[in-house]
Amino acid sequence: MGIPVSQMAAVAKYVVKQRLAKRERYPLVLMLEPLFRCNLSCTGCGKIQYPASILKKNLSLEDCLKAAEECGAPVVSIAGGEPLMHPQIAEIAKGLVAQGRFVYLCTNALLLEKKLDEFTPDTHLSFSVHMDGPRAEHNLSVCREGVYDVAVSAIRKALDRGFRVTTNTTLFEGANPARMRQFFDDMMSLGVEGMMVSPGYSYEKAPDQEHFLRRERSHKLFSQMFENPKKSWQFNQSPLFLQFLMGKRDFECTPWGNPTYNVFGWQKPCYLLQDGYAQTFQELMETTEWSKYGRKSQNPKCQDCMVHCGFEPTAVKAAFESPAAMGATALAMVTGKL
Amino acid sequence: MIDARLHDLVARAFDYRGYVTLRKKDGTELYGYVFDRGDAYVQILDETATKRTRIPLAEIADIAFTGDDPVAKSNRVWELRKGKLEPGNTSAWGEWDEERPALLVTAVDQELRCVARAMASEVRSRMARGRLNGGSAVAIAVGPGGGARQAVLAEKPRALLSCGFAGALTQGLQPGDLVLSSSVRDESGEAIVATDSLRKAARTALSGLRFVEGEVVCATSVAATPADKRGLAGASGIAVDMESWAVAKAAAEAGIPWIALRVILDPLDSELPAFTREPQKSYVGPALRYALKGPRAVADLAKLAAAARTAADALEQGLRRIGPALAAAGRSEERV
Repeated sequence: MGIPVSQMAAVAKYVVKQRLAKRERYPLVLMLEPLFRCNLSCTGCGKIQYPASILKKNLSLEDCLKAAEECGAPVVSIAGGEPLMHPQIAEIAKGLVAQGRFVYLCTNALLLEKKLDEFTPDTHLSFSVHMDGPRAEHNLSVCREGVYDVAVSAIRKALDRGFRVTTNTTLFEGANPARMRQFFDDMMSLGVEGMMVSPGYSYEKAPDQEHFLRRERSHKLFSQMFENPKKSWQFNQSPLFLQFLMGKRDFECTPWGNPTYNVFGWQKPCYLLQDGYAQTFQELMETTEWSKYGRKSQNPKCQDCMVHCGFEPTAVKAAFESPAAMGATALAMVTGKL
Repeated sequence: MIDARLHDLVARAFDYRGYVTLRKKDGTELYGYVFDRGDAYVQILDETATKRTRIPLAEIADIAFTGDDPVAKSNRVWELRKGKLEPGNTSAWGEWDEERPALLVTAVDQELRCVARAMASEVRSRMARGRLNGGSAVAIAVGPGGGARQAVLAEKPRALLSCGFAGALTQGLQPGDLVLSSSVRDESGEAIVATDSLRKAARTALSGLRFVEGEVVCATSVAATPADKRGLAGASGIAVDMESWAVAKAAAEAGIPWIALRVILDPLDSELPAFTREPQKSYVGPALRYALKGPRAVADLAKLAAAARTAADALEQGLRRIGPALAAAGRSEERV
C-alpha cells in the first residue's frame, strides 16, 4: 500500500481518539482550496468558472493554517485551482507540516520543476500529481499538448530531490482498462510512492457533461482495471474504497470526512457540492443538514457520485468498525489482491 | 412573507457563477457574487472579492443577472476547441501573468549564501530560488564585475536588486552599515538613478536599521586601499562596488525597477589584503595562502572575517526587510 507506516499510524491514532471521544462525525482530510485559478482548463472541471476577481483571490497563509487548526484533520489535501500558482504555497505547505499534518499538495505539475526549490523534502509532504492516464488520454483530459511529458519530467526531478510523490487520477467515460493497467505500470516504474484513482464527479458547471461515469459504468471500469491487480501497484487509498469502486462493497457517503475550506469559507456539504458556506468549521458541522446528502437521501446530485473524498472516509471508518472489514483491509494490503 | 418569485430569483442567483445586481427595497443597489443563501438571507461578495454583505431577503426587491456568466464562457471556449488541444508551448501560467521573481545579483559565493539565508533557500549551481518575505525571488552570483543581462533574459524578473559587500567612500561608515543606492555611477562619471518608488519603499522598510542613502560608485577593479577609495568618491559617492552599474544598466534596458542594497565591509581608512585586489569567484584559496605570510596576515584575515560576518548578518536582515517592497515592484495585474 502506498501510504507510509508513520502516516497510517497517525491516522489510526486520530481515528481511535475520535471513537473514544464518541464523536459521531469527524474529519479525516481537510480539502484546502487556497485559490480557484488554474493554468489549465480541463474538460471535466467545474471548479474554475468564476469572475476574475474571485479567481485572483488567494487565501492567506494565516487563513490556511487557522482552517487546518480549526478542522483538526491529520491529513490536508491542498487542491484548487492550481495550488502552485498561489504566491505563498511553499509557506502554506511548510506551516501545515509544522502543525504535524500530512500534506498532499495536488498539482498538474506544470510549475513543479520551477517551484521545487521553494519546498523542502519532508516525510509529511507529498506532491500529488494530476495524471489522468497515459500520455494521449491525459493530454486530452487537460486539453493541452505535452502536459503528460512535463508532469513526468517534474515527477522525476521531485523524486531525485527526495520528495514524496504520488499521482492522482480521475477517470471518465471511455477510459480503457488495459491502457490504464499499463499506465499504473508506468507510474510505478517512475518511482512514485502510490497512486490514487477515482471516477470524476459530474460537476454541473463543467463544460463536458457527456463523459462523466455513471455508477454502473464505474463498477465495470474499475472491475476490469483492478482484475488481478499487480503486486507492484501501490495505491495510497483504502483497499476497501477500491473494492467499492469495483462494486464489491456498498458504502454510503461520509461528506463531513473531507471538509472543504476555500475563499468563500467552509463549503457545505462537501468538496464537490456547493450548497452554501459556513464561517467556522463548527458551524459547518452543526448547521449542515447532512441527511440531505448521500445516495440514501435520494439527492440527485449524489446518486452517481463515487468520488474518493466522500467514500474514502467511509472505507476508513468501516475498517475500524468491523473486524471483517479490518481483516479485508489487512489481507488486501498484504496480498495486493482486491 | 417572501414571495415565490424572490425565492426563485435567490435560487438562481446562488446557482449563477457571475455577478448580479441586487436591488433593495430602499432603492439602493449592490453588485457582487452571491456565494451563500439561507431561508431568510443571501450573502454577497463585492466586486473586489473582499467585502461580504449579508442581506435579509425581506429587504430585497429584485435581482438582475448583470455580470458575464463564466460557465457560459467556459462552455463557449470548450465548444470552439472541441477535440483540439491547446498547443504545448502555452504558458505554464495559462491565461494568467507569470509570477515574475525579483532578481538579486551578487558577486561572490559568500554574498550569495547570505542572500539564500534571507530567502530561506539553498544555493545550487551558484543560484538560489525561493521567496523573499512576500515574493518569489532568484539570487545569482555573477562574479566580481559580472553582468546581469543574461540573468535578466533568463528570469524575466519584475525587479532587480544589486546586493552584496561594498567599500566605504565616506568617513563614519562601519562594517555592517547598509547602503541604499540613490544612483550608481561608473568610472566615466555616467550615472543611472535608482527607481524612485522602489527606493522609497525600501527606505521605509529599512527604517530602524543602520543605513545610509546615497550614490554607489561602480569600479572596474577592487578598491582595496584608502587612496583607491578616496580617488573614486568624487563629490557624492558613499560606497563602492563592482556590480551595481551592470545591474542598473540591465534594468534600464529591460525597463524594470532596480535598486542596490550594499553593506559596508571595509571602512574608508582600512586596507583590504592584497589578494582581494584580483577578482576571484572564491577567496578561500587566496586567503589561506595569504595567511601563510605570518601572524600579522592572520590577524588581518581574522579582522576581515569578523567584518564579513557582521556585514553578512546586516545584509540578511536588510534583505528580509525589503522583501515586500521587491514583491510589490513592477507587479502587473493578471490578464483575464
